[in-house]
Amino acid sequence: MAVEFYRPMRLNNLNSSLQQEIREACDTDVEMCLECGKCTGGCSNAHIFDYTPRKIVQLVKMGAEETLMNMDALWTCVACHLCVDRCPSQINIPRIMDYMREKAYHQGVKARRPNVELFHELMLDSIKQTGKVAETQLIIKFNLGSKQYLKDADLGRRMFFKGKLSPFSPNVKDINQVRLMFIRTPVHKEG
Amino acid sequence: MKDKGETTLVVGGGLAGMEAALKIGQAGYKVILVEKQAVLGGVLGQLYSSFPRWEDPQALLNNKLQQIQQCPQIMVLTGMSITNAQRDDKVYIVDLQGINQGDIRQIRVDAVVLATGFELFDASVYGEYGYGIYPNVVNSLEFEAKLKEWGSGHSEQIPPKSVAFFKCVGSRDRSKGKPYCSKICCMYTAKQAGIVKDMFPEAKAYVFYMDYRASGKDYEEFTRSVIETKHVRYVRGRPSKVLPENGKLIVRAEDTLMGVPIEVEVDMIVLAAAIIPSRGTRELAQMFRAVTDEYGFLEHETFNPVKAGDRVFFAGACGFAIETQGAQYQGAAAAAEVIALFNRDPQGGD
Amino acid sequence: MDIAYYPGCSLHSMAHEYDQSTRLVCKRIGIQLHEITDWNCCGATAAHSLDHHLSIGLSGRNLAQVDDMKLNQVTTPCAGCFSRLKTASGELKKAPMQGEIEEMTGIFLAGAKDVEVTHLLQLIIEQIGLEQIQKQVVKPLQGMKLAAYYGCLITRPKAVVQFDDPEQPVSLDRLLQTLGAETVNWSHKAECCGGGFAASATEIVVDLGGQVLEAARQAGAQAIVVACPMCQANLDTRQRAIEVDRGITYNLPIIYFTQLLGLGLGFTAKEMGLNRLLTSPSNLLAVSMV
Repeated sequence: MAVEFYRPMRLNNLNSSLQQEIREACDTDVEMCLECGKCTGGCSNAHIFDYTPRKIVQLVKMGAEETLMNMDALWTCVACHLCVDRCPSQINIPRIMDYMREKAYHQGVKARRPNVELFHELMLDSIKQTGKVAETQLIIKFNLGSKQYLKDADLGRRMFFKGKLSPFSPNVKDINQVRLMFIRTPVHKEG
Repeated sequence: MKDKGETTLVVGGGLAGMEAALKIGQAGYKVILVEKQAVLGGVLGQLYSSFPRWEDPQALLNNKLQQIQQCPQIMVLTGMSITNAQRDDKVYIVDLQGINQGDIRQIRVDAVVLATGFELFDASVYGEYGYGIYPNVVNSLEFEAKLKEWGSGHSEQIPPKSVAFFKCVGSRDRSKGKPYCSKICCMYTAKQAGIVKDMFPEAKAYVFYMDYRASGKDYEEFTRSVIETKHVRYVRGRPSKVLPENGKLIVRAEDTLMGVPIEVEVDMIVLAAAIIPSRGTRELAQMFRAVTDEYGFLEHETFNPVKAGDRVFFAGACGFAIETQGAQYQGAAAAAEVIALFNRDPQGGD
Repeated sequence: MDIAYYPGCSLHSMAHEYDQSTRLVCKRIGIQLHEITDWNCCGATAAHSLDHHLSIGLSGRNLAQVDDMKLNQVTTPCAGCFSRLKTASGELKKAPMQGEIEEMTGIFLAGAKDVEVTHLLQLIIEQIGLEQIQKQVVKPLQGMKLAAYYGCLITRPKAVVQFDDPEQPVSLDRLLQTLGAETVNWSHKAECCGGGFAASATEIVVDLGGQVLEAARQAGAQAIVVACPMCQANLDTRQRAIEVDRGITYNLPIIYFTQLLGLGLGFTAKEMGLNRLLTSPSNLLAVSMV
């Protein structure tokens, strides 16, 4: 009958290749991190993140892939690029975020912000179908899919009367060329 | 006994240069001490206080100036700079020019000590800090001048209610600045922050740091006293952005020890900008065939940390960032090299 | 000059006035826009968020078409599209990536990777020049006090974009000054508006967009000038929600820089589509009597 005792994490048990994987896939070496916090200090959404940029870099060093793929911050990063621009070591945090999110998504990890994931998916669906994004249809599908039927109803009305809601759904002629990309993207092949 | 007919040129009248000139002159050799500013003293003359003993730097400066005045071997030429140098067997023929007067001279010297010191990296490269754009964002030398002004008791300026000190501005930055550590900023920042608290006990002082480096005799104790008895608040995090708001400055940073983003509202920000060699150092080194590194600091020969070339020595911050006492040591070391050179077999050389 | 034109999806729908004003203005200042014949969506946030290769491929197809058009430069008024196209252009210059994307798309990309990608603001500043614009200004924007808003992607990431200064940008300010307007010094000229979260995490846009509006208001701006349809949509369409959230009335029109450029060059407000902005610019236009 095993009882769970708290033990601190044992650093010499860390045996992760995540740092190397990030170095190759994202062309960025987290070893260069000075741990100065300039990234987090200016991050647009750090105040709502569960793990802030500096911590995310530390998580890569620790090989904490599960944590990275399951964090809320993955879905609320605005990709403003203030972090990488200010980092004295130019660590490409936006790219790391994209990479971990892509990995999590294609491994079927449940997104912490299902609505954000849904919106991205609907946008990609539209591109796969028509090659472009028809904003009005996208918003309607999103409201339906996220069960927020009356969301932005008043705003929608205002925009309609200003002629900002176009009913048209433009198409790319050589749509097969676009659809091919969706089928042949390497991520899908692995997944 | 050899006669002491040799002459040494010392370029730069800061502490390192003055010390070299004194030790050579007091040993009985002629020295020409050239300084491009109107007065001797260099950065030492700009300081209000010193670490680690809170001593008055002007006392040290005055001591050196007095000794120079009392040493007949030393000829001081202020307001002059070097325009050219040529080698003629074991001698350098050097052209000098007055900055304002246009006074032109030529001298023959048997050895050279370069001691041209440092200046601060231009922090306007950091648009996120607003140096050169927001008033009340200054660098550490500019702030030292403010301390002198407030300390004089005659100041008209309203003292700040809160000051934030940013360390490592340009230092330890591979992307926009220099990769190296400028060595003395941790100590002088603690000094400046401590003085703010002494002068204005009600004021708040924050020091934003990545590390604090206090390796020297009494250095750690000095820094701890600034934190523990003068109550300067140290925050671990390199500031990310300065936002002006209603006449004040908001600092955005992360408190990395807590792992949370924070903001602080202050009146004034002091940037500890990286230490770089004084402009003109590289050109000067080239005239004397001395080697400089990729940052423009003088490079020393193997086994000899004050020798930069044939009959050419250097001392002080032109070789790398150094504290006051270190500049003095190096000046004396360069002087010893020159004296030893002059006392070697006269037929031989280097 | 002849240049390929990539409007992007929103310029053909919600941001139609941006497209409208861009075309009129470019013609007047000597830029011949050639819309890419069969352009596809660049993928915006969605593609780079979920599939890196797809994101590069989508932009690669557009760049390849520019090359097929025998043009070597493409411009877009949308900062998001600009970021995607420029990033893709950089990625394609790396040998393994070019091969992977060619295999994925079946499109030959050797010419595509050399196409220069320029945001419309950058094009006007760098390749037309403010002096040229100055000559053509007929109705200066006198009396207007404007906040030039750069957002994120026109200047960042610096390593990729290399236009203006990401922390203290001045290009749009200078353009507006050339048109005779006054620009305010304000703290949030390059802070984020909330990006692509307007629908899916609206509270982020209300938060960040709100900070931008507040900073503009405190600086005394009468309007905010933008160079991105996402920033425009966030700050304009969500302004009411922000006002409710903060309990402050802003009444700040969010105007595309091409619309103001057009006014300065003598086009009417109607021609510039100024009637399509949700937050009305009528007070601003009255002030300057344009």
